[in-house]
Amino acid sequence: MPDKEDKQMSEKHDHGEHKAAPMVEEVSDFEILEMAVRELAIEKGLFSAEDHRRWTEYVHSLGPLPAARLVAKAWLDPEYKKLAVADGVKASLAVGVDWIKSPPTGFGTPSDYCNLRVLEDTPKLKHVVVCTLCSCYPRPILGQSPEWYRTPNYRRRLVRWPRQVLAEFGLQLSPDIEIRVADSNQKTRYMVLPVRPAGTEGWSEDKLAEIVTRDCLIGVAVPKPGVTSNAKRPIHPAVHPVHHHH
Amino acid sequence: MTTKPHHDRTHHAKKATGIGDPQCFKGEAGPAKFKIGDAVRIKNLPDIFYTRCQTYTRGARGVVVAVVYESPAAEDEAWDNTDKSEWFYSVKFPQKELWPDYPDAYPNDTVETEFSERWLEKA
Repeated sequence: MPDKEDKQMSEKHDHGEHKAAPMVEEVSDFEILEMAVRELAIEKGLFSAEDHRRWTEYVHSLGPLPAARLVAKAWLDPEYKKLAVADGVKASLAVGVDWIKSPPTGFGTPSDYCNLRVLEDTPKLKHVVVCTLCSCYPRPILGQSPEWYRTPNYRRRLVRWPRQVLAEFGLQLSPDIEIRVADSNQKTRYMVLPVRPAGTEGWSEDKLAEIVTRDCLIGVAVPKPGVTSNAKRPIHPAVHPVHHHH
Repeated sequence: MTTKPHHDRTHHAKKATGIGDPQCFKGEAGPAKFKIGDAVRIKNLPDIFYTRCQTYTRGARGVVVAVVYESPAAEDEAWDNTDKSEWFYSVKFPQKELWPDYPDAYPNDTVETEFSERWLEKA
């Protein structure tokens, strides 16, 4: 009987040598929820499928280059630096980002409000950004947040053990430096304006912008001459891995 | 015959388009109760359903470092109650105030985050 065969095969499958492989194509509950809410919103006429497509295309066009450019300009021009620290939204215009009018909504993004604060580091003050509630991030000027920024691990630990977390990113700071964690729990979005490193004297804006990586703009790294990409995030095997006994 | 009251779900878009959020609430909150440099304590208000005031800040003392913008409080806005705006403040805390076990080796470390006015009292 086919049923019996199926059962035998299934038992063999469950108890045999085969180990379950990670399901990399799995759709998460949140993705299903997003699709359901999106379809309902389109049916109700809150926005159209065309609006959604335009929005998705806008979001995918974003990246950290304008923020890197803002930092390089601020390093070179003290007046522009003053403006960036006083009014991040206004200073963003000079690097091609209009927080209010660039997004297809015409009023900013629904979750990333139009209030950018540029946090200026000094030799005695290092800023680092987190959103402990969710994953608020200055997307119009920094693009999509990296995966680790959204993890509960980073969000829970940074605010409480910033030095340990920064050390895991390879950034160990002297005890006399104030580490200030900015928790973006309301309508302000933050980016870090790091200290211009030694060894960059006489550099052009283009060359300076290259060393201002996304990680420097979040604050988990500092710019270094010769380093133009984010450090690789090591993936450590779990100390106490979960074993599945079926 | 009764008609169902109509709620315009696009009222926020209409108000904020071309202006931005929180810019569109500018001028609605009246005078700010606190100023830069004020010592404040975070109240521990009830937060049934929704809040953006983190538990780790409740009861802690900090200093106002910026008066940032006006907006309805998140606790109201989450339910589309946008009639009353409040001032928002950026408050800085010493880490030790938030986490009593924070290492004494790093007394300068701080956390900065925002609160709407209802969460603050003079300390």
